[in-house]
Amino acid sequence: MSPEHGAAVATALTNYVFPNDLHVHWSLMIVLYPYITGIVAGAFIVSSLYHVFHIQSLKPVSRYALVFALAFLAFATAPLLNHLGHPERAMNMMLTPSPTSAMAGFGYIYSAYAIVLILEILFIYRPTLVALKQKASGGMKLLYTILTMGSDNVSREALEIDHKITAFLAAIGIPMACTLHGYVGFIFGGVKANPMWATPLMPVIFLLSASVSGIAGIILSYVIIREKQGKPLDMECIRTLIKFLWGCFILDFVFEMLELFSHAYMATHHWEALHDLYWGPLFWTFWVAQVGIFSVIPFIALGILSLVNLSDKVVKIGGSIISFMILVQVLLMRWNVVIGGQLMSKSERGHAVFHPGFFTKEGIVPSIIIMILPIVFLYLLSKVFPFWLEDDPTVGEQSA
Amino acid sequence: MPEYRSKPYSHIVRIVLLLVIIIVAGVVVRGKVLPKSFGEYGHYRGDAIFDEMKRPVRNGTNASCLVCHPYIREMHLNGVHHTVSCEFCHGPVADHVKDGKVIAKLPKKQGKEIRRLCLRCHNQIIRARPKESIKMISMPQHLEEKHVRTDHICNQCHNVHAPLMWVKQAKAMVGVEEDSK
Amino acid sequence: MKEIEREISQDRRRFIKKVLGGSIAGSLLLVIPAGAMDFGNIPEQIPGMRKQTGPFIKGKKFAFVVDITRCIGCGSCCVADKNEYKVPDGNYRTWVERYIIDDHDNVYVDSPNGGLNGYQEPREDLPYPVRDTFFVPKLCNMCEHPSCVQVCPVGATFQTEDGFVLIDYKRCVGCGYCVQACPYSVRFINPETHTADKCTWCYHRVRKGLLPACVNVCPVQARKFGDLNDHESEVYKILHQPHVISVLKPGMGNKPSLHYVGLRREVV
Repeated sequence: MSPEHGAAVATALTNYVFPNDLHVHWSLMIVLYPYITGIVAGAFIVSSLYHVFHIQSLKPVSRYALVFALAFLAFATAPLLNHLGHPERAMNMMLTPSPTSAMAGFGYIYSAYAIVLILEILFIYRPTLVALKQKASGGMKLLYTILTMGSDNVSREALEIDHKITAFLAAIGIPMACTLHGYVGFIFGGVKANPMWATPLMPVIFLLSASVSGIAGIILSYVIIREKQGKPLDMECIRTLIKFLWGCFILDFVFEMLELFSHAYMATHHWEALHDLYWGPLFWTFWVAQVGIFSVIPFIALGILSLVNLSDKVVKIGGSIISFMILVQVLLMRWNVVIGGQLMSKSERGHAVFHPGFFTKEGIVPSIIIMILPIVFLYLLSKVFPFWLEDDPTVGEQSA
Repeated sequence: MPEYRSKPYSHIVRIVLLLVIIIVAGVVVRGKVLPKSFGEYGHYRGDAIFDEMKRPVRNGTNASCLVCHPYIREMHLNGVHHTVSCEFCHGPVADHVKDGKVIAKLPKKQGKEIRRLCLRCHNQIIRARPKESIKMISMPQHLEEKHVRTDHICNQCHNVHAPLMWVKQAKAMVGVEEDSK
Repeated sequence: MKEIEREISQDRRRFIKKVLGGSIAGSLLLVIPAGAMDFGNIPEQIPGMRKQTGPFIKGKKFAFVVDITRCIGCGSCCVADKNEYKVPDGNYRTWVERYIIDDHDNVYVDSPNGGLNGYQEPREDLPYPVRDTFFVPKLCNMCEHPSCVQVCPVGATFQTEDGFVLIDYKRCVGCGYCVQACPYSVRFINPETHTADKCTWCYHRVRKGLLPACVNVCPVQARKFGDLNDHESEVYKILHQPHVISVLKPGMGNKPSLHYVGLRREVV
């Protein structure tokens, strides 16, 4: 046997996966959970850019972004409950959260953030809801009564109090949104046993890609919904969103690449396994898809859309396509991190394989269902909370 | 100036009240639902230790088999297989005896199964076995060396419970001098 | 052959005479003695354990040592473990790996079905001649700083005061975080109980004064279990000899309580 042939065979044969590593335990559901909470956090940040940082051009989507965030937040627990071996014991995380476990933060961080988000929506929408209540009847009237906590008072005094509260909630909402997604990053970043996950950059990367996915989600859904409703688009708003998307994406992409580059440069003994992973099972999903197509192209295109004076039509279509690509990029990033990280065996000598099932419990069909549910819920929410200021019966009477 | 039924801050009071009720309810429910022994020794349910202690033992030791199978015991304990577990070939005692009664027979290996079991330990071909640990042979060379037909199963010359017993007896009886290798 | 069989039947008659004469110690006769299969009556392999009824083991500091220079890869340990816990197929509380090193210094590792069927065949698919091979049993390292306990969100896995890392199967939600966190891949999600599971050094046997199942069955004493407070014990002597690195992945900082004799640099 020639030396080269022998060497090639030797390399091919040195694949050894620990017996318990053959099965990938965190699959599609755990890919979806950070994806959904990321979109929530990002959408909230869009709203806060208006409510806290007073970026006026974002006013048209300021309320919509909150409702959008709520629609996705409502289903953030769905993939987790589907994944747990004992979902009926899920409350254990609230009853006895372990102080050393990042995952234990889930129950309280999620609940606290949900309360802040719901309260902020209720306070911002209160005058609108009161006005809608007066026009409603039957079930809707009851719903509006509950949502306004039975109070009709929209006097100047009441609205001033509301305004202060809203400002406060929006302000604390930002660190809370960061915590909601940052802790997810730490769930991975704190696992020293996994060389791909264990990095202090992980919470930062997750948070930045969350912002990116949220902003992209707002742009894409804003364009689609407004077009479907036959309403005009606020191009100033879209252009601002694109600029923010570009800025966040620069940071996100740089950190993602920095992490990998540091590993490659320092070349500790883990690098060999990581290298085999990135140039092996993850070659297509990472280098070709996530980086080559869905990072590099948006990176350049967003720059062009932000800096070059282009027509509204180009910005609208380009912005929508790029936003869609960004949403795909973030999903791919979650896939490559969650599933890719587990493909590397802790034997440091080989890779497992993963093929998601179609109709299995954590397979492709349940994943699609879980991603459709927030959109359905968003539609239902639109019947209760008017997205757009021009649909609001009280606009002009209140200071936003 | 329109008259409102509620005060300007009524809704805030109600929301705060609702939150307080939820939190208090949560604390009360937690108190009821939490297992009593949780936190007794650390951040875990103390009774879990006793749960694990109470797990039924399934494998005995060789002593638990030989107490009822004394004939085998004589052979086994005096033979070179005295470190081999009965339950490795026959299965765990818990599948055989429960509450002092026999509930099922344990399988006895037959024929080719026996040879496979012997070779699991004694096959020299695997090469990873330290010689100091165990005597190894290769098949069919071992049979050829002993001038035995190569379709023989190991237990035709070696009592599985005391592998050298018959071999030694044969040598003593027949007075054969082997050309040993 | 016939002569041998005659000898044996003579033996048998002599034996039964002795039995009826009562000169064979112990129970027997032809009646199963009452309580013999009550596991409390199996002679204690670890003295003094049955008296202890409290939650934590007092007075003993257990250590588990695996001697790679003795392991023959028979897989008795894997069989005993699977029988003891009815471990579902495809999951392993303990397993045995085979390492093969060729004369170009390539290392090939395999563990067909975790070594449960032993190693019946040599590897035929290797390109270069083999220069060295050995077996490595793996099991829970029972770390002093367990990663799994650190990450469990609900307190379902825990470390007792006597150093055992155990699982509360009634509390575990099956999130799988502990499986990800373990650097040694000894944990898995049991597909039947839907909770985490792992080797527990046969805690329930040790509490009854019995050795762990795998230690009990090893025919060549490659697995050893004992009390470090007993200065005459084999494990004490081994761990007090000068030796090179004896734990897996020391750089992780978990401080395993599982020690290896003859650990090789190729082992991860």
